[in-house]
Amino acid sequence: MDLKKTPFYQKHLQNKGRIVDFSGWALPVEYKSTLAEAEAVRKNCGIFDASHMGEIVIRGVNAFSFLQGLVPNDLSIINIGQMQYNLFLNQSGCVIDDLMIYRMKNSFFCVVNASNKDKVVKWLNDNIKPGVEIVDKSMEYSLLSVQGPEAVKIIEKVFDCKGVDSEYLSFKEIKIKEEEIIISRSGYTGEDGFEIYLPWENSNQWWDKIIEEGNSFQLKPCGLGSRDILRIEAGYPLYGHELDETINPYEACLDWVVKLNKNFVGKEKLSKVKDSGVKRKRVGFIMEGRAIPRQGYPIHSKLGVIGEVSSGTYSPNISKFIGMAYLDKDYAKIGEEVEVEVRGKLYKAKIAKFPFINIKTKR
Amino acid sequence: MSDFKFTKAHEWVRVQGDAAIIGITDYAQSQLGDIVFIELPKPGEMIKKSSQFGTIESTKAASELYAPISGKVIQINNELIDNPQWVNESALDKGWMAKIKLEDSEELDDLLDESAYKEFVGKEI
Repeated sequence: MDLKKTPFYQKHLQNKGRIVDFSGWALPVEYKSTLAEAEAVRKNCGIFDASHMGEIVIRGVNAFSFLQGLVPNDLSIINIGQMQYNLFLNQSGCVIDDLMIYRMKNSFFCVVNASNKDKVVKWLNDNIKPGVEIVDKSMEYSLLSVQGPEAVKIIEKVFDCKGVDSEYLSFKEIKIKEEEIIISRSGYTGEDGFEIYLPWENSNQWWDKIIEEGNSFQLKPCGLGSRDILRIEAGYPLYGHELDETINPYEACLDWVVKLNKNFVGKEKLSKVKDSGVKRKRVGFIMEGRAIPRQGYPIHSKLGVIGEVSSGTYSPNISKFIGMAYLDKDYAKIGEEVEVEVRGKLYKAKIAKFPFINIKTKR
Repeated sequence: MSDFKFTKAHEWVRVQGDAAIIGITDYAQSQLGDIVFIELPKPGEMIKKSSQFGTIESTKAASELYAPISGKVIQINNELIDNPQWVNESALDKGWMAKIKLEDSEELDDLLDESAYKEFVGKEI
């Protein structure tokens, strides 16, 4: 099957990006060095092509009540111009997808994982109500994510708008020469940053403008490899690693997303989970020695296997091998000493608080 | 670089008398990406041609290191264990891995010279 290409595909080739298949999309895993890219974002700034993400618009007179009735987080607490992290859950209270919901004037703009987009569109349509329209706009918007302490200077210049002098998790819809652009102060790195949704067809000019303006701020094009390091450092879950249709939000340490004082799909089951407690829990851990913990590696206590790694990497920003795991709740305590089985050998690790870095998103 | 020999598994061998220094090629490191972990045999261990003698791990994946020649490990690059990025920075020099006492010098005949290796990878090394 041919891989889908984002509008920035040629830019990736020009920058010698190493292209891989990511959920059917041809995207760069790195340009020159994954580690250098991950460091650049914490120090200066980086630009990521995230155009593979799915954008689904939900509109109609009953759009609010429809969506509010599906998701566990409370949509009524955000205003127009604000966005919220949320989940779609199945009847067992486990995660169909995690997403950001942008509250617009007459609609909700849902940004979902590329790998789950088709599944989510189908699920939404299976649950549709009168007065609700679901529109898949994934091929209408490209997405550039500019992340890092210098990002704000670049974005304000390129888009000539003070509008981005805004709170974290808020957004502006702007119009430049008839092009409708959405800019949100958000990201997946734990740094201050922006996500910019652009009309698919004319996206390239914006890449060029951001790169040009970013030159004096050491802006670096960054691939998926560094994106993964940065989100692990920030303790953010990734669907397919920390989230799937067998994991509930309490296990995933996403308790804060679940509002049991409202209705949503999966509530009945989650209320019971809350009362009885979970058997396993998502934790962060730091390896004592050198070895990358990778998804699926078993984790041992003195008595046997107590869980497994969901994600792991080498963090160039704290110079340690770090990871996330699901562990038997009795062992899911900060400071607990465990061993990770890497290629048949046991390596010592300690359960640690995540995020592993100081989150610097603007509050 | 004339005293370097190469394998199709992208290792290099540099003969010094009855011993040889081994490592991986610049092409290999460029394909692996940022190296973060290297596991080498201990001095005194015997390694066997085409068998695994160590492990190298990049941000992307862990790979086995295959011995280009057989023999006894005389010395390893201990500093490399703490500085695995040297393989990226200097695969043929600071990134050396082990010094091997040659067991069978005829094995050297199977190795590629620089031009043959270049042709094999189809690019400049």
